[in-house]
Amino acid sequence: MTNSVCVLGAGSTRYGKLNESIIEIALNAAKGAIDSAGITPKEIQAGYISNVFGVADKQVHMAPVLMSNLGIPNVPGLTIESACGSGSVMFREAYANVAAGFYDCLLALGVEKVTHTGTTQSTTLFSYCSDFFYEGGNGASFPGLFASIARAYLTTHKATEEDLAYVAVKNHDNGLLNPKAHIRKKITVEDVMNSPVVASPLKVFDCCPFSDGASAVILCTEEFAKRSGKPYMKVIGSGRGASPAAVQGRADITTIPSTVAAAKQAYKMAGLRPEDIDFAEVHDCFTIAEVIDVEDLGFFKKGTGAQAAREGATRRDGRIPINPSGGLKSKGHPIGATGIGQVVEVFEQFTGAAGDRTVKDAEIALTHNFGATGASAAVHIFQKV
Amino acid sequence: MKDESIQTQNKFIDSAIKGKILVNKCRNCGQLMLETVYYCPVCSKSDFELVEFDGVGTVVTHTIQAVAPEGFEDLDSYAWVVFSVDNTPIRASGFLPGIKVPADLPIGSKVKVTGYDKKHGLSLQKLP
Repeated sequence: MTNSVCVLGAGSTRYGKLNESIIEIALNAAKGAIDSAGITPKEIQAGYISNVFGVADKQVHMAPVLMSNLGIPNVPGLTIESACGSGSVMFREAYANVAAGFYDCLLALGVEKVTHTGTTQSTTLFSYCSDFFYEGGNGASFPGLFASIARAYLTTHKATEEDLAYVAVKNHDNGLLNPKAHIRKKITVEDVMNSPVVASPLKVFDCCPFSDGASAVILCTEEFAKRSGKPYMKVIGSGRGASPAAVQGRADITTIPSTVAAAKQAYKMAGLRPEDIDFAEVHDCFTIAEVIDVEDLGFFKKGTGAQAAREGATRRDGRIPINPSGGLKSKGHPIGATGIGQVVEVFEQFTGAAGDRTVKDAEIALTHNFGATGASAAVHIFQKV
Repeated sequence: MKDESIQTQNKFIDSAIKGKILVNKCRNCGQLMLETVYYCPVCSKSDFELVEFDGVGTVVTHTIQAVAPEGFEDLDSYAWVVFSVDNTPIRASGFLPGIKVPADLPIGSKVKVTGYDKKHGLSLQKLP
């Protein structure tokens, strides 16, 4: 690696049910990032796009279509799919290409549009991200897979379904302060506990919504960022990890090996430890996921993540604020965009654009995003400049 | 060089129809793995002895799908189950009809493979 890599400019659509086409959604986020960076499209040397279900809106081969609509049809684009972790996995590849010196400035954009397909078809589409022969094909939906992980966790550790509910309550509180969040609704532990069961032990309020949306950032060398005169932040750690694709293939179902591996790499590269992180955006597709994430990332000891949520240690004013954006749970989960949306949140936090959800005095932040039940994961660490 | 198509899943299904779990035993290092794995994760060889184990095992975890995915709406109530296959270090998963509440299937319950349903996959039955 030779170049110091920076995020210069970030843009995001609202997450939720959007009426625009998938390309229009992507263009809105791209324009936001380009304007924020103070550049013109002509300065973009490559486009990295993450998307999973473009076929649902009749568009695959997304990258060149988007580049053409940005008026830069001769700029090479690449579309990357890694289920719900597509955004962070794509970000890693984009980062590596700037670090290696192939590009000075590129667009990294994630986009998804699924809500028009309805709940049943969306559930089915998402199940294709599992190891389908063993999981989706045997009747497990994604809530079902994480519910099986939750049951294993609740059986193994001293934790309750009510503890999980505290994760949802906290993320909804944060999402209330995010004008682009999909579900801006204050909920209580009782609301979570009384909501309908989706796949036991998980209930409706344990689950993130299906969302449409796009998020984009401009990645560039530090020299490029400095010349722009605009605010930027540095990428100081990057890691990737993998787990057995099927839940049944894991010796311990209460941990996600890809997260542990990716975090270890990112911390080592940054020369930091978990206690050096000021806040984190983690993959809370279901409440149980956040509980396991905060343990696997080293913020809390194994088996204490649920207790941390109950005691408020992960709230915005807690020991380690988790998901100040509202997370996937409240901000929403347009799966191809989610990993980039997390980077956008860090950028807004570091550049004074996060409003009332700003984490006070934060200078180092971590993003964590995985695909499926954690078969693939990426972790990145950012430093305020 | 043999010009044979890799068709691991059909062999696994044929055994499941008989109530068995088909396992690869690596002839190089002895590692056991589900038959659908093509290279040994320990030594990367692909020279296996096929071994059929009785499809009997112990429930490791499960969920009861209140909202069934497409293709499973016709089942009244069922659990998706991860179970450890007796006499092996291997885990497999399948669907178990008739489970309505968690108390119907405590962790540690014994289950057996009853077949392979074209529509629903590997089917299980709870043992007394």
